Amino acid sequence: MKRRPLGLALAIGLAWLVAYPLLLVALDAFRADGAWSLANFGGFVRDPREWEALWGSLWISVASVILAAAIGIPLAFVFERFDFPGRRVLGGLVALPAVLPPLVGVIAFLFLYGESGIIPRLIAAALALPESPWRLRGAGAILLVHAYSMYVYFYLFTRAGLARVDASMTEAAASLGAGRWRTLRAVVLPLVRPQIAAAALLTFMTALGSFSAPYIFGGGFRVMPTQILATKLNGNLGLAMVETTALAVLALTALALLRRTQGRGGIAITAKGAAPGVRVLRSPLGRAAAATLGWGFAVLLLLPHATLILVSLVPLGTWTTQLFPTAYTLGNFAALAQEPERLRPLVNSLWMAAVATVGALALALWAGREVVQRRARLARPLEVLVHLPWAVPGTVLAIALATTFSVRAPWMGRWLLVGTALILPLAYLIRNLPVAAGTVLPGFRQLDPSLDEAAASLGAGRWRRLLRVTFPLLRPALLAGGALAFATAVGDFVTSIVLYTYDTRPISIEILGALRQFDIGVAAAYGVVLMLVSAAAMALGTRR
Amino acid sequence: MSDQPFLELRDVTKRFPGHAAVQDLSLAVPRGQLLALLGPSGSGKTTTLRLLAGFERPDRGAVIVGGVDVTALPPAARHIGMVFQHYALFPHLSVGENVAFGIPRGPGRTARVRQLLALVDLAGFEHRRIDALSGGQQQRVALARALGPDPKLLLLDEPLSNLDPALRERTRRELRAALEAVGVTTVLVTHEQDEAFALGDVVAVLRDGRMEQFGSAPDLYERPVTHFVATFVGRAATVAGTLVAADRARVSDGVEWPVRVPQAVAPGRAVRVVVRPEALRLGGEGGIAGTVRARRYLGGRALFSVATPLGVLEVEGAVDAVEVGAEVHVTAVRAHAFPAED
Repeated sequence: MKRRPLGLALAIGLAWLVAYPLLLVALDAFRADGAWSLANFGGFVRDPREWEALWGSLWISVASVILAAAIGIPLAFVFERFDFPGRRVLGGLVALPAVLPPLVGVIAFLFLYGESGIIPRLIAAALALPESPWRLRGAGAILLVHAYSMYVYFYLFTRAGLARVDASMTEAAASLGAGRWRTLRAVVLPLVRPQIAAAALLTFMTALGSFSAPYIFGGGFRVMPTQILATKLNGNLGLAMVETTALAVLALTALALLRRTQGRGGIAITAKGAAPGVRVLRSPLGRAAAATLGWGFAVLLLLPHATLILVSLVPLGTWTTQLFPTAYTLGNFAALAQEPERLRPLVNSLWMAAVATVGALALALWAGREVVQRRARLARPLEVLVHLPWAVPGTVLAIALATTFSVRAPWMGRWLLVGTALILPLAYLIRNLPVAAGTVLPGFRQLDPSLDEAAASLGAGRWRRLLRVTFPLLRPALLAGGALAFATAVGDFVTSIVLYTYDTRPISIEILGALRQFDIGVAAAYGVVLMLVSAAAMALGTRR
Repeated sequence: MSDQPFLELRDVTKRFPGHAAVQDLSLAVPRGQLLALLGPSGSGKTTTLRLLAGFERPDRGAVIVGGVDVTALPPAARHIGMVFQHYALFPHLSVGENVAFGIPRGPGRTARVRQLLALVDLAGFEHRRIDALSGGQQQRVALARALGPDPKLLLLDEPLSNLDPALRERTRRELRAALEAVGVTTVLVTHEQDEAFALGDVVAVLRDGRMEQFGSAPDLYERPVTHFVATFVGRAATVAGTLVAADRARVSDGVEWPVRVPQAVAPGRAVRVVVRPEALRLGGEGGIAGTVRARRYLGGRALFSVATPLGVLEVEGAVDAVEVGAEVHVTAVRAHAFPAED
C-alpha cells in the first residue's frame, strides 16, 4: 500500500523535534574548544558541587514520592470508603492544588509561609517574637511545595483504582475469614498497585524536573535543573551540556527502572461487579471528627489560593509591617488590562499556548492514525517518540532546543529560531505532545475500527471520515488532552526562562520580574489570572 | 446477460504475517443472487468479505464487480454497501443521520431516508438515538444505511450473530424479504449452516482460506465432494470402512452400505464413510447391532442415539419407533465414502 511514506514522514518529523535536539546536546558535551574532548566531563566529575546537585535531585525526588504518597493514599481511602458530612464537596476541593501552575504555587507559598509571609507574621505577633520564626529555605521548603502539589497524583490515581476494585473481591476475602487489615494488605492494596505505581512514577519524574521551587526557595541547596541554568548563565556552555546530559540520563534510567517494577505482575481487574459501597460513619463523634479534619485540611489546601487573591488586591507599597493589608484595590488587575506592557505577557502566553496546543493535538491525531488505525510498521518508535518529552525534564528540553535552534544550518535540520517568536510555542508544543497523545491515543484505541470502515464503504473520503466520524467520536479525548496541554503551556516557567525574549515573555517571566521589583500585587494578580485560566481549562477538559 | 457473472473473484490470495488467510480463491455470482460464504472461524470468509469491500488488498488476483476490475480502488470508490457484524452505527448520529450518511446531498435525500426506513420497517425512527434501539432494530438500521447509496453489491458480515435465537428466525425472514425487494447482489458471511441455506442462493464452503465446495444447498447436502463438507454441513457420523465396489463400502464384518464416492478411490482401499441420521434405519435384524441409549424429540420425529461397535450413531425415526434400552440393528440406505486421508 502507498501509505507508509506518511508514517515515515511523521516519524522523521518527530525524531527531528524530539530526539535530535537531545542527541545534539549529548554530542556537544563531548566538544571543547572546537574539538572532540572529554574535558567537560572531567570538569563535571571533579567538581563536588555537581555531585551534590545530582544527589540533591535524586533524594528530593524520592522524598517527594514518599511524602506525596503518605498524604495522597490515605486521603484517597478516606474519601472512597467513608461517608461523612461534606464528603462530595471536599473530595473535589482536595484536587485543587492541581490548578496552581508551578511558579504560581511557589509564590503563593512565599506570600503565605515565607519570611515575611502571613503565617510567620501571625506567629511572631502572637508569641511576641522579634522576627519570623522560620525561614522558608532549602530542601525543607522544596519538599513542602512538592508534597502540596504532588500528593494530588496519588490521591486521584488511588481513588480511580479503588473505584474499580470489585466488591466481590473484598467480600470473598471477608468470607474466607480475613479481617479488615488483612483484606486491605492482601487484597485491596495489590489490586490498586498499578495505579499507585503510576502515581509514584509521575511524582518522581515531576519532582526530578521541578524547577520553580528550587529556583525560588533553594538558596544554597543544589539540584540539577537550577544548576544547569546557573552554569549556562555563567557562560560555561560545555559544562552545561554535560549537566543536561547527566540529568537526562538520570531521568531515563529512573524511568526504565520504575517501569520495570511496574511491569511485573500487572493485574487486570476482570470482574465487572459493583464497586464496594462506602461506609457511612454513624457515630456523631466520628462524623464530627471526620468533618473537622476534612474541612481543616481543605482550609490548609486553599490557603495558598486565598493568599494569592488577597495579595493581588494590595496596592503597591501599602503593606509593609502590618499583619493584614490596610488597603484593597482592583488596580493591579486594571493595570494588567490597561498598560500595554503589562498586557503583552498575557497575550503572549495565551496565543503561544493556543498555538502549541493545536499543534500538539494535530501531531497526536496524526500519530494516533498511524499507530492505532493503520498499525504502521513504525508504530512502536512513533509511540516512543510522542511520549519521550515526558521523560525528559523541562530544563533538559529547553537547553536542547536552545542548542539546536541557535545555529543556521538548514541541511542539518537546524534553523535560527532562538530569539524569534517561534521558539517558545515550539517548546510548549514538544512538552505538550505526551499530554495530548496521552488522551488521543487511548481515544483512538477505543474507537471501533469498523466505524471508519463503515463510513468508507458508504463512499466517504478521508477528510469527510475525519470530520464526520473520527473527530466527533474523539471529542472528549481531544478536549481533555487539549485543556490539560493548554493549562500546562500557559503556566510554563521552566522552558520559558531558558528560551524567552523580552518581546515574547510569557506570564511566568513577568511574575518573576514583578517580584524582583517588589511589585507583589501585580505578581499575585498575574498568578490569579493564571490560576483562573488553568481552572477554566481543566473544568472544560473534564466536562462530559 | 443474467448468466454473465456480476461478481467475480479470480485467483485471489491474501497473506498475513505467518499465514495465508485466503488462497487462490475464485468464484462467480450472477447478478441479483445471494452468495453465502460458509466456514468455521479462521476459514478466511471474513477476509474474503474485506477483500471485496476494499479494506484489504489482495496480494494476488483480481476482484471484478459488474465487469469492472475494482482491485485497486479504495473502499470509498467501490459503491459496495456493508453491514458490519457489530453494525458499526455511528453513535453520535441519529438513526436518520446514519441512514443519510452515504446518500448524496440533494432534494431527494430526506425522502430516500424515509423510504429506506420504511423498507426495514422502521418508519418514523429518524430522530431516535442509536443507543435507544434494540439489537434487531440496530441491525435493520445498518441494513438501511448500507442500502442508502444504492450499492452495486451488498456485503453482510454475520448479520444475525448478535441477535438472540428467538429474534434471529424472524429477522432472517425480514432480511430475505428486504433483499428480494431491492434485488441487489449480496455476499453474506456466516458460520451457521442454517443461515447460509436459508438466505443463500449459492453457498461457498471455505476451509483454511481455500474453497472446499461451491453450489446450491441441495448440492452441498446431498452431494458433498469432501469429507469436510459432508461433516460440516448438516448432522453426520463418520465410521471407518473399506471400499469393496464402486458403490459399496464394508463397515463391519458382513455389513455393507451403499455409498457415493465423489473422489477417486480404488476398491479395496480404506475409506471414511459419512452417514446422516435420516439415511439410517432401525430394524430387528441385519446391519450393525446396538443399544438405544437416548431419544431426543425433533418436532414430529425423534433422534435416537444408538451405541454400536462402530461408535454412537444417531438415527432419525418415528417418535415411537423403539424405546430407550432396546436392542436394535442399524442399516444405512445411503452414505458417502471419502479417502481415509484427506
